[in-house]
Amino acid sequence: MGHTMRLTDWAVVGLMGLALVGNGLLGPKDARAQEGEAEPAAAEASEDVAIRIGLTEEGLPDAPFAPAWDEVRAAEFKLSPQVHWPDRLLDATVKSVRVRGLHDGERIAVLLEYQDPTMDSDDAAGLEFMVGDTKAHFAHGQEMLQVKGGPVNIWFWRNKDGKAVDMSAEGFGSLAPQTHQDVTASGEWKDGAWRVLFTRSLETANPEQDVMIVPGRWTNVAFAVWDGQMMASGEPKEKGSQKAISSWWYFRAEPPPDYTVFIYAALGLGVAALFELALVKKLRKG
Amino acid sequence: MKNPLSTAAIILVVMFVILEFGMPLFTAPLPASLVYLYLALTLAGIMLFATMSGTSAEAFMGPIRRFLAGDGQVGPAKTARILVLVLFPFLVGWQTFSTLAPSDMPPAENRTIHPAPPGEFVGLANPLPRTQNNITQGQGRYFSLCFPCHGAFDGKGPAAVGFNPPPANFKDPGTIAQLQESYLFWRIKKGGVGLPVEGMPWKSAMPRWELELSDEDIWMIIMGEYAGAGQEPRTWEEEEE
Repeated sequence: MGHTMRLTDWAVVGLMGLALVGNGLLGPKDARAQEGEAEPAAAEASEDVAIRIGLTEEGLPDAPFAPAWDEVRAAEFKLSPQVHWPDRLLDATVKSVRVRGLHDGERIAVLLEYQDPTMDSDDAAGLEFMVGDTKAHFAHGQEMLQVKGGPVNIWFWRNKDGKAVDMSAEGFGSLAPQTHQDVTASGEWKDGAWRVLFTRSLETANPEQDVMIVPGRWTNVAFAVWDGQMMASGEPKEKGSQKAISSWWYFRAEPPPDYTVFIYAALGLGVAALFELALVKKLRKG
Repeated sequence: MKNPLSTAAIILVVMFVILEFGMPLFTAPLPASLVYLYLALTLAGIMLFATMSGTSAEAFMGPIRRFLAGDGQVGPAKTARILVLVLFPFLVGWQTFSTLAPSDMPPAENRTIHPAPPGEFVGLANPLPRTQNNITQGQGRYFSLCFPCHGAFDGKGPAAVGFNPPPANFKDPGTIAQLQESYLFWRIKKGGVGLPVEGMPWKSAMPRWELELSDEDIWMIIMGEYAGAGQEPRTWEEEEE
């Protein structure tokens, strides 16, 4: 044996160093670095922070109570009465909404489910999305003072209309149906609960107004529900800005499974094994 | 040192314990990338020391070389060698996988909770005297307007649950106790939509109260809020200390 460092020695030491640096740089455990500044991962009160729209090859369920929905996990989001701007509401009927979704690579189906003791013709529900990459305030894309905001796309369903309205807003008072109606919706009330099913193609020909749902890409979604129960005054209990709402949560259509990562992992394993073999062989030769 | 290899191992372990568990006693926990970078530097230092002479290099690397070559090994040493040789490629495979595997978690968004206010809202003093009457009036307005979200000063109002980020808890020492009254004046007056981009104004449910309240109302609410939460506003004197 010689008395200086050999190539094989440096290879061993280099690996140890790589393991240390690699572990630190690539390891998944570095979230604490920004702990001081980051907000809590999610509002404690909320059940979920994201709705993931699973990819199916068996066709999208075409009705709110289609059996296929029983196989899909629901994400639950708490709702607040709309206290942000006039006219306010201090107590909303619907306290939370359960959301499920499926897509087939072409179309998407989103199912809202919520408790509402009475079935009324003015009962209504809506989904709101940011459009494109521009941030928009969850309250109808209202004006922000230091940030230029963008539009929101609202999919609105009301029991008495029996269909969806595809709408846009960019600030209070600007909410209007689009000239292109791309969304369909149907609702069914059973045993004190609504199920409302929205469907649309993942993408539309109107990227300026509509949310483009690209599998694998996260976007923002918010929810709204109105209890249309008729009051003695002759007005529905909740209408217009008086509704149950959420602020933004995360929304993603799941991408098709990607197996390339397994190939790369196997490649890494193979290269490491070959390197190891060569190293041991060289060491044994002395 | 009799066995430079075990000395090196001990140094690395001691370094790790100091960085990982010792440092947080004095300062914020170090990011994992920094901890491992320091360990790699320590290893580099050890190597410099170990390769100062041919003899020291041999004392350091010899045992590693013999272990990996495996000539004449028996018993536990033989088992250990096989384990190391088998596990190492799998470790590399796993590292590759965990680095490349697509995440299905929502994007991490680091929202700044208390971003800097615009210049015109820095250092304003509450123009109202701190009288019991003003505090009571402020709390009256607080309970009719702010209570739905902020609750009894604890951020747990009945209308808080649907919002992310959640409404501020004023009893928490990390909120209004760290802020000056002028900061609260800005946040109440301009609301969530008045935040700069790092505050993510599009997510905030805080109303822009300047559209509905006078400045005097807002200063009263601030006074009532501090009193109700049992906190004192941060002052210039404290900042200068």
